[in-house]
Amino acid sequence: MASVTGLSNPRAYLLDNRRFVGIMFLLPALVYILLLVGFPFLLAIAFGFSDVTVGNTDLSFVGFRNYEAVWENNIFRQVFGNTVMFTLVSQFFILIFANILAIIFTQEFTGKWFARFIFILPWATPVSLAAIGWLYMFDTKLSPVDYLLLQTGFLGPDGVWGPGRNLLWLARPALSQVSVIFVQVWRMTPLATVILMAGLSSIPTDILDQAEVDGSRFMRTLLQIKLPLILPIMVIALLFSMITMFGDMTVVYLLTRGGPIDYTRILGLYSFQIGIEGGNLAQGAAMALFAFPLLLALAIVMLRVASRAEVR
Amino acid sequence: MKRAIRFLLVLSVLLALVMGAAGQDSYAEGTEISLLQWSHFVPRYDEWFDAYAADWGEANGVGVTVDHVNFTELFSTLAAEIDAGEGHTIVEVLFSPASFIEGLHDLRDINEAAAAAHGERAATCQAASYLPVSDTYYAYAHGYVPDPGDYDIQLWTDAGYPNGPATYDDLLAGGRAIFEATGIPVGIGMSPELDSRMANRAAIWSYGGSVQDEDENVVLNSAETIAAVKYLAQLQNEAMTDEVFGWTAASNNQALIAGEVSYILNSNSAYRSLQKIDEAAAANIGFTPALAGPAGAYASSHVWQIYVIPNYVDGDELAAAKQFILDHTENYSEATYYSELYNFPCHPSTVAELDGWLEEDPWGSQPPNKFEVLKTVNDWSVHLGFPGVTNPAVSQVFAESIIPNMVAKVALGEQSAEDAVAEAHERVEEIFNEWRAKGLVGGGDM
Repeated sequence: MASVTGLSNPRAYLLDNRRFVGIMFLLPALVYILLLVGFPFLLAIAFGFSDVTVGNTDLSFVGFRNYEAVWENNIFRQVFGNTVMFTLVSQFFILIFANILAIIFTQEFTGKWFARFIFILPWATPVSLAAIGWLYMFDTKLSPVDYLLLQTGFLGPDGVWGPGRNLLWLARPALSQVSVIFVQVWRMTPLATVILMAGLSSIPTDILDQAEVDGSRFMRTLLQIKLPLILPIMVIALLFSMITMFGDMTVVYLLTRGGPIDYTRILGLYSFQIGIEGGNLAQGAAMALFAFPLLLALAIVMLRVASRAEVR
Repeated sequence: MKRAIRFLLVLSVLLALVMGAAGQDSYAEGTEISLLQWSHFVPRYDEWFDAYAADWGEANGVGVTVDHVNFTELFSTLAAEIDAGEGHTIVEVLFSPASFIEGLHDLRDINEAAAAAHGERAATCQAASYLPVSDTYYAYAHGYVPDPGDYDIQLWTDAGYPNGPATYDDLLAGGRAIFEATGIPVGIGMSPELDSRMANRAAIWSYGGSVQDEDENVVLNSAETIAAVKYLAQLQNEAMTDEVFGWTAASNNQALIAGEVSYILNSNSAYRSLQKIDEAAAANIGFTPALAGPAGAYASSHVWQIYVIPNYVDGDELAAAKQFILDHTENYSEATYYSELYNFPCHPSTVAELDGWLEEDPWGSQPPNKFEVLKTVNDWSVHLGFPGVTNPAVSQVFAESIIPNMVAKVALGEQSAEDAVAEAHERVEEIFNEWRAKGLVGGGDM
C-alpha cells in the first residue's frame, strides 16, 4: 500500500527538496545558455585569436593580430561610433516613450486590452519582416510617408521640404540615420514598456493611496514615488534593450546595408561583411568581440545601480 | 611533345569521367547528391533545371535533390556547411568563392575535361574559378551573365544619341541633357550593394584604373582611378539624383520599369520584367555594350554561375557530382534558352545557337535583334579582379563596398577624389596583406 504522505517514496522526497527543485527549474535555462550562447561565444573568442577563414576553420593561434588589424582599420572606428550613437540615441527615446506608454497602459480606460494588443505587435513581429515593411515605407520612389507629406503640402513643388516629391529617406546620410533610429525605437519600445508596466503594477497600492491622501498630485507621485520605485526594473529594461540593439544587424542589413557610404554601418553588420561575405572569419569574430568589454562594463554598472536602488 | 602528353592526360581524365558515369550501375546503390542554388531571377530556368536534375538522376541511378534559396544566403550557408563538415553536395554561388578555397575540392579534372571537350572558356569564367598562387581550380564556372547598358531609346534619340551612349563622355553629355530637359536621371548606383560595386568598377577599368594589377599587387591609388572617380562624381552631380546613394539590387529594375531612368547597367532581367508587363515600353529599351573610356571599354559580368563541391563530399557522391556538372555543361543550350538568355555559357561552343538567338530573340523582343550587341560580350565582360584574378582579397574588397563608398564620398563632396582614393587604397592594402599572409594572394613585391 502506498504511503499517504509519500515520505517513503524517494521521488517524492526529491521533489520536496528545495535545492533539487530549484536546480531542476534552472536547468532548461542553463542548458540553453550554455549551448546556444556560451558555446558560440567561446567559439567566437577562439576564432578571434586564430586565422580561420570560411574555408578553413582549423584553429591556429595568432595572438592579438586580428584585434590589432581591426583597431588599425579606419572604417571600424566610424562603425563603432555609429553603433554607440544609434544605441544611445535610440535608448533615450525608448526610455521616454516606454515610461509614457507604461503609465497610460496601467490606467483604466475603455479598449485597454485592444490598445495593449496593438501596441505589442511591433515586438511580436519578426524583426526581418518588420524591417522589410519599413523598407517599403521609406522607399525612395513609393514611400507612403512621402505620399502623406506630399498630400499635406510638405513635399512637392511648393512644399516646405520641396520641390522634390521624395525625401529619399535611405539615400541621404542624416535621414538614413534617422530612419534606422526610428525603426529601432519602434520595435524596442514595446518590450521596455511591458517591463515598466510590470514594475508599475508591483508598486504597493497602500503607498500610492497614502500619497493621494497626503495630497500628492500626478507629477509629484510620478517623479518622487513611482519612478524611484521602478528604477531598478527600468535599468533592467534599458540593459536588455541596449544589449539587443548593440548586437543587432538585421534592421540595418535590410534597410540600408550600412549606406549611404558608412553612415549606418554598425558593428554587427560590418563583422558579418568581413567574416562571412568577405571570408575573413577570424577578423569578423575579433571585430564582433570588440563590443564585449564595453557591454560587460555597462552591464556591471547598470546592475549595480539597479541593486543599490533596490536596497534603498 | 609536352602538348601531346597534356592532350593524352586530359583525354584519359575525360574518358575516366565519361566511363565512370556511363550507366546507372556506375554508382553504388543509394548514391544521392544534393544541390543548393539560388532562386533564379528567371523562374522558367528553375522549372527547367529542377526537371532536368530529376531526369538526370533517374538516368544515372542517383537520387538528386535541389534546394533553392535567396542568393544572399548562399555564402553564409556554404560557410556553415563547410564548418559543420556536412551539407549539400554541390553549391552554386554567384560570385567567386575564392575565400572558401581551403574547404573545397580542387576541380581541376572536370575543368580540364570540359576544356578538352568544349574548347577554351570565357576569360571571365576562368578568372573566377582558378587561383594561380595555389594553382587550384577551386570551382567550376558554367555560366556568366552579361551586364550591358539599358537605355531609353526615345530619350536618347531626342538627345541626339539614337543608338544610346557609346562612351562615358556620351553618358555624361547625353545623360545631363536628358536630366535637364525631362528630370529623368541616369541610374548608376553609388551605394554599398552589388550593382553599384560593379558599375563603379566598370568606369574605373575603362579609365585605366583597377584595384590590383595582373600580378595581384594593389594599384588602386593611380591617376587613372582618380580621373574615373572625378568623372563619376561629376556624372552624379549633373545627371543623377541622390537616390543613387541608396541604390539597392532592385533599384535598376524598379527604375527601368517605372520609366524613371534614362540609362542603367544591368543584366537582361530588368528588361525581361518590363517585357512581361508592358511590351511597348520594353520595345523602347535598347542595349549598349560596355561604354568606352580613355583606356578601353570594360564592364563586369553581372554574376557568375559557379559550382563548388565542399571537401566533405567523397566517394560515389563526389563522382556523381562531377558527372552532373559536366553533363549540365553538355546541355547548356537549354540552360541559356530557359534562362531567357540570362545565362551565357562559359564554354561558348556549348551553345551553338547563341548568335542566332541574339539576332532573333526567341522570347519575342521587338525588334528581334535587340540583344545583338551581346555578340561581342567576351571582348568587354570581365571579372571582379580584372586585370588579375578574383582572389580572396578581391572578394573581401567587394564585400566591404570599398569602391562605391569611395566614389560616394567624392560625389557627396565629403572628400576630394585624391583623398578618397588614397584612403580606399590604404584599406585595400590591409586586406591584401591579410590574405597574402595566409598564402592565398600573390604579388606584394612592388
